[in-house]
Amino acid sequence: MSLQIIVNGLATGSVYALIATGFSLIFNVLKFSNFSHGALMTLSAFSGYFVAAQSGLGLVPTILVAVVTGALVALAGEFVAFRRITLNNSSPVYFFVSSITLGTMFEGIITVKVGANFYNYPQFFQNSTIKFGGVVISTSDLLMFFCSVITLLILAYILQKTRQGRGLRSVSFDRDTASLMGINVTRTIQFTFIVSGALAGLAGVFLGINYTLYPTLGSLVVKGFIASVIGGLGSLTGAIIGAVLLGFMETILISLVGSGYTPVFTFLLMLVFLLVRPSGIAGSNIQEKA
Amino acid sequence: MTLYLSILTQILITVVAVCGVYVLTGLTGMFSLGQAAFMAVGSYASGILVVKCGFPFWLACILAVLIAVVIGYLVGFPTVRLRRDYISLVTLGFGEAITALLNRATKLTGGASGFIGIPRKTTFLLALVSAIAAIAIVSWFKTSKYGRQCIAVRGDELAAKAMGINVPKIKMNAFLLSVAVTAFSGCLYAFFITYVDPTIFGWKKSADWVIMVFFGGVNSLTGSVVGAFILSGLPEVLRSLDQYRSIIYAILVLLIINFKPSGIFGEWELSPRNLKALGEKLAKRSRKEEKTDGAA
Amino acid sequence: MKKVLAFLMAIAMGLSATACSSPSTSSGSSSNQGGEILIGCLQDVTGPTSSLGQMVQAGAQWAVDEINENGGIDGKKIKMNSYDTKGDVTEAVNAFTKAVTVDKVSVIVGPPVANIALAIKEISEQYDVPVMGLAMDKNAQLKQDGTPYKNMFTFQPNADQQGAIMAKYAIENGFKSFGAIYNESNSYSTSLLAPFVQTVEGAGGTIPKNLQVAYNANDTDFKTLLSPIVKANVDAIFVPNYTKDLVNITTAARALGYEGALICGLDACPPFNTMMGTSCDGVYYINNIDDTTQALQDMIKTVKEKTGVEATNKFFLGYDIVNIAAKVLKENGTSDPAKIRTALENITDYAGMTGNISIDPKTHMTKSMEMFMFTYEGTTPKFLQKFAA
Repeated sequence: MSLQIIVNGLATGSVYALIATGFSLIFNVLKFSNFSHGALMTLSAFSGYFVAAQSGLGLVPTILVAVVTGALVALAGEFVAFRRITLNNSSPVYFFVSSITLGTMFEGIITVKVGANFYNYPQFFQNSTIKFGGVVISTSDLLMFFCSVITLLILAYILQKTRQGRGLRSVSFDRDTASLMGINVTRTIQFTFIVSGALAGLAGVFLGINYTLYPTLGSLVVKGFIASVIGGLGSLTGAIIGAVLLGFMETILISLVGSGYTPVFTFLLMLVFLLVRPSGIAGSNIQEKA
Repeated sequence: MTLYLSILTQILITVVAVCGVYVLTGLTGMFSLGQAAFMAVGSYASGILVVKCGFPFWLACILAVLIAVVIGYLVGFPTVRLRRDYISLVTLGFGEAITALLNRATKLTGGASGFIGIPRKTTFLLALVSAIAAIAIVSWFKTSKYGRQCIAVRGDELAAKAMGINVPKIKMNAFLLSVAVTAFSGCLYAFFITYVDPTIFGWKKSADWVIMVFFGGVNSLTGSVVGAFILSGLPEVLRSLDQYRSIIYAILVLLIINFKPSGIFGEWELSPRNLKALGEKLAKRSRKEEKTDGAA
Repeated sequence: MKKVLAFLMAIAMGLSATACSSPSTSSGSSSNQGGEILIGCLQDVTGPTSSLGQMVQAGAQWAVDEINENGGIDGKKIKMNSYDTKGDVTEAVNAFTKAVTVDKVSVIVGPPVANIALAIKEISEQYDVPVMGLAMDKNAQLKQDGTPYKNMFTFQPNADQQGAIMAKYAIENGFKSFGAIYNESNSYSTSLLAPFVQTVEGAGGTIPKNLQVAYNANDTDFKTLLSPIVKANVDAIFVPNYTKDLVNITTAARALGYEGALICGLDACPPFNTMMGTSCDGVYYINNIDDTTQALQDMIKTVKEKTGVEATNKFFLGYDIVNIAAKVLKENGTSDPAKIRTALENITDYAGMTGNISIDPKTHMTKSMEMFMFTYEGTTPKFLQKFAA
C-alpha cells in the first residue's frame, strides 16, 4: 500500500469526519439520525456561494456566511420540525421521519433557486496541490484537515468545559433528570442544533470546494450516518474515528477491488464488525432507546 | 380514466410494499433502509426469469419471492442479532451493495441503462387482488400468536425475552414476511412499468415507505395502508405545482408528523367491531348533543 | 376521535380541492381548438439530473416564446405544459399518461436522460403523441426486432455515434494509448464507453480492460481511482461523465501530475471552464453546437440577460426540438397524428442551432449528423472541427 493511498484515505476520512460530527452531535442529544443534515450542508454551501464567494469575497467570509446560515437554518428547522416532537416525548423514530422530510424540503428549495445552472466556488488557493516527495496533497484537503482538527478541539472544549456544554451532556445522558436539575432542556436542544448547523455549514463549504456545488451534494450525509453508527452511537470521538476508518476502508477497497464491489465489501465488513463489537468503536454502553 | 387506473395501480403496488414495511417497522419496531433493495431483487429476479429464461409470469413471481426470502435469510441472520439501532445501518449497506451489483452485472441486468423488454402483465385487477391479499395476510399475522409476540418485542425486548419469547426468531419471522411481501410488490412493479433501473431502489425509497407507515399511524395497519394511499397519490395531485411540488409535499408531511404524531389513525384498525364501536360512539355523541339542544 | 375525523376530513377536502383545481386549469387549455396549441415538456425538473432537464425546458420555452411573438402557428399561440419526472421512472409514466390522456398535448419534448425515455417507450405505443426526445440510448427508439417505436424520436446523435466521433477524433490526432474512467451507475456514461472502446480498438489504439475504471454515484476519491491510469502514462483518458464529475476528475488527474489529454463528453462544454477556474488545456470535448460563432454568442447573452440561464448545448437542443415541432405542426395541422409522425420521420436537412438535422425513418434517430469537437486554450473554448460518425 503506497503512501499516496494513505493520504487519500485520510483526506476522504476527514471529509466524512466533518459530516459525522454534526450528525452525531444531534444523535447525542435527541437519539435520532438527523438526515436533514445533508441538505442543510448543501443549503449553507450555496448561501456561502451566493452571498460571499460570488462577489469575490475570499474563503473566510464564505465560511462565515455558510456557518451562520447553517446555524440559523438549523435553529429554524428545530422549531418547525422537531420542537413539538420533543415536547410530546414521542419516539425518536418521529424525529427520523421528520428529518428526512425536512431534508426533502431543503433540497426542493435549493433546486428551485439553482435551476439549470452549474456552480463552483472560485479558486481560493494559488497552488491547488503540494508535493512531498512522490505524494500529492491537495491544498483544500490539507486546509480541511486542519480546519476539522481545530473545530473539533473547539467543540471538545465547549462540551467539556463550558456551562452550555455540560448542560448538553447532561441532557444527552438523561433528559428528565437534567430538567429536574434546573437545566433548560429546550434551550440546550436549540444550542445543540446551532452547533450542529454551524458544523454543517463548515462541512458544506469544504464539500463544495472539493466536489463542486450541486443540489444533491448533501447525499454524502449517508457516509456521516455510517461513520457515526460504526463509531458507537452518540459518541463524538467514536464518530470521528469511524469516519476516518470508513474513509481509509473505502480508499483501500477501491484500489484493491475497484469501486464496483466496494459497497459489497463495505457491507460485509460492517456486518462482521458490528457482530464482533456490538457496542461500536467507542464502546460506550448506552442503553437501548430505539 | 387511463391516468387514474395507472396511478391507482401504482398506488396499490406501493400499498403491497408498505404492508411489508408495516410488519417490520410497525409491528416489530425494526427500521429498514434497505427494504427497497428487496423490491429490486423481486423486480430483477422475476424480470430476468421471464425475459431471459422464458418462465411464465406466475412461476417467475413465486421464484423471485423465494430468491428474495433466501437473500433475506442470509442478511437477516446476523442482522436480527444486532442492536436495533444497527439494523437500519446494515440494511442501508445491503441496499447499496445490491445497487452496486445491479450496476456491475451489465450482461444480466443491463446495468445503469436498466433492464428493458419486460412484458406488461400487471393489470389494475391483479394489483387490487394482490393488495387485498397482502393486507389480509398481514392483518392475519398481526392478530396471530406471532404478531402479538412481535408487538411484545417492539415494546420491550428484554421483557419479551424474560417472558420466554425467542427474540431473534420472532424478528426473523417478521423480517422474512416483510421481505416476501416487498419482493412480490417488486414483481408487480416490474411487470407494470416494463422497465427497471437500479436508481429507483435507493434508501430514499425505503425511507418514503417508513414515512407512509408513520403518516398513517405506526400502530395501525389501516393507517399504514391509508398513509400509502395518500402519500403516493399526493405527488400526482400536486403535479401542477411543478418544481414547487416536493416543497409543498414536504410541508404537508411535516405538519401531520408534528401535529398528529401518532399518525392519522393512531391505533385504530378498521374491523367490523371497531366500526360498530365507532358508530355507537358517534350515535351517543349526537344523542348527547340533541339532549343539550333540547335543554337549551 | 372527533379530532381524527376532523383531520381526515381536512385532508380529504384539501386533496379534493387540489385534485379539482388541477384538471380544471389544464382542461381549459387542453382543447387544441381554442386558439392554442398545447405541447408538453417531460423533464427532470427536480431530482438528481434537474439541471439538465431545466436547461432543455428553458430552451424549449425560449423557442415557444419566440414563436408566439412572431404570431404563433397560423395565429394560434403555443402553450407548453411542464411535466416533472423527478428523475424517477414511475413518475415519468404518470406524467406521460397525464400529458397524453388528460391534457391531450400535440407533441412532447422528451428528456435527455435515457432512463426516462426507456420507461415510457412501451406505453407510448398506445397513443398517438410523438415524443421528441434526446435519449442517446438506441433502445429508447428501437424495438428488439430493430423497428422503431412509432412515437419515439431522438434529435441528437446516439451514443454509438457520439462515442465513435470522439474515438475517431482522438485516433486521427495521434493518440494511441487510452484509459477511461466512467460512472457505472449512470446510463449516459456507460452507453458511451462501449462504442468508444470498439472504435479505438478497431483503429489500432489500445484501451486495456484494467484501465477502464468504473466508479459509483457517491464516490469522491478520484485520486485513488485515477492512479492506475496515470501510472500507465496513457496518451489520453476518456471521461464520458456529467459536469461535476468532470471537474473533479480533471482536477484530480492534474493534481496527480497527469499531463495527457482528457477526452470528455457533452458536459465539458462551458461553464465547465469557469467551474474549473484554471487552465483547461488538454481537455477535448464534443458538442452539439458551435458556441464560438457570433450568432450563438449573441443569443447566449440575450438569454442570460432575460432569464438568468447560462445556455448550454441542452438549451439549444430543446430550442431546436420546439422549432421542428412548430414547423411540422404548421405544415400538417394538429388533427392527424399519422401525418405528423410521417412528417417527423421525413425531416431532412433541417438547419437548426445544433446542426443539420435529418431523421432516419427506419430508426427515428438522426442520420449522419455532424457534431463539433472542441478543446480549450486556457479557459477559452476553441473549435477544432466538424465530425460525423
